[in-house]
Amino acid sequence: MSRDHHKITEYDLHAYADGALDGPARAAVQAHLAENPAATKDVDGWKRQNETLRALYGHVAADPMPPRLSVYRIERKIRTRASHWGRMAAAAILLIATGAAVGWYGHGMFAPVPPARIGLVDEAMEAHRIYSSEVAHPVEVWAGEKDHLQAWLSKRLARPLNVPDLRADGLALVGGRLLPAQGGPAAQFMYEDDTGHRVTLYIIPAKEGREISFRYAKLDRLEAFFWTDEAISCALVGDLPRARLQEIASRAYKQLG
Amino acid sequence: MSQVLDEIEACVPALRRYARALTHDPDRADDLVQDCLERAIRKRRLWRPTGSVRSWVFRILVNVHRNELRRLRRSLTPISLEILPGGDPAGPDVQPDRLALAETVRAMQALPAEQREVLLLVGVEEMSYAEAATVLSIPVGTLMSRLARARAALRSLTDTGVPKLRSVK
Repeated sequence: MSRDHHKITEYDLHAYADGALDGPARAAVQAHLAENPAATKDVDGWKRQNETLRALYGHVAADPMPPRLSVYRIERKIRTRASHWGRMAAAAILLIATGAAVGWYGHGMFAPVPPARIGLVDEAMEAHRIYSSEVAHPVEVWAGEKDHLQAWLSKRLARPLNVPDLRADGLALVGGRLLPAQGGPAAQFMYEDDTGHRVTLYIIPAKEGREISFRYAKLDRLEAFFWTDEAISCALVGDLPRARLQEIASRAYKQLG
Repeated sequence: MSQVLDEIEACVPALRRYARALTHDPDRADDLVQDCLERAIRKRRLWRPTGSVRSWVFRILVNVHRNELRRLRRSLTPISLEILPGGDPAGPDVQPDRLALAETVRAMQALPAEQREVLLLVGVEEMSYAEAATVLSIPVGTLMSRLARARAALRSLTDTGVPKLRSVK
């Protein structure tokens, strides 16, 4: 490895100035410098440059850290953002039950869904089937009393419920009702588009307090997106194309959250 | 996964220093670092331990900065002397006077970005040539010639007869 017999290149000199050489390589450069004042001047100059740059910028690393540069804070922010916007994209976890309930439960096997969730979708679809076809009494409280509806159902579910405004999706609120669900109350809000298509949003208090991202289920002609946030589990049900239902679910989710 | 986060976190002071030296603007520098961290954190699952986390996050920072330069088209910002450290700079045996520091700041701002990048990785971040080459995604030979050019340019920009730094040791 001895460099004694090698010609010292400019790169060797840089490496020496940067302290990147040791042992024989370092000694070889030192020997070279002893006989070459011009090279020594270069090397000293480069070392001074390094020192000046460190003196100029080195202190920044010791400056107090602004909170916005906290890695864990950024990570949390990204996670929250992802759960807000990415969930819909994450509906890649599609739970499509073909045909009847057997198929629905069967699919739970490869995409495990907590039993509570199956109950949620079943009940939401059942409630949708019963009430969305009602002409005279689709709801208990009509949209005209929206404030009352919201206060009443919030109280019964012991959760602050914000009735989503889905007019941007062409859906007007029809009203809502209180329903019995497995082991507690459920709220149902109904919406209608200008062609009479009805969509219902079914809400129960979340039990385990664990967030579950958007999932999708299909039963006969009915489709549902369902999810759980900190406080509530929701299912949006309708016989609309999946993409459209997903848009609506995303809007509802944002307003409820 | 949180081990990667910890390693990223450990790089933040150096990233700030590097960004500040590249931009000479504290706010812009922290913006770049924030942008860099967001990307790194989002992509951390794609990171494979083939190199160090440090060279990986620095590479992201370099790219973020280059993108920004492209956007700004290097609008020449007036030279700010706020960059100068206050009281006494770090080393006890090196006391470059303020004038020399100011001169170097001016020179650094005048250097092409690619020369600033390499000079700072080697001179301030004290990276090995191999690591700096990884950060800049160039071969070591290219890095060396860029470093040599940067040093020559910095020297010619500061060798104008104004007071020099006191010699070391």
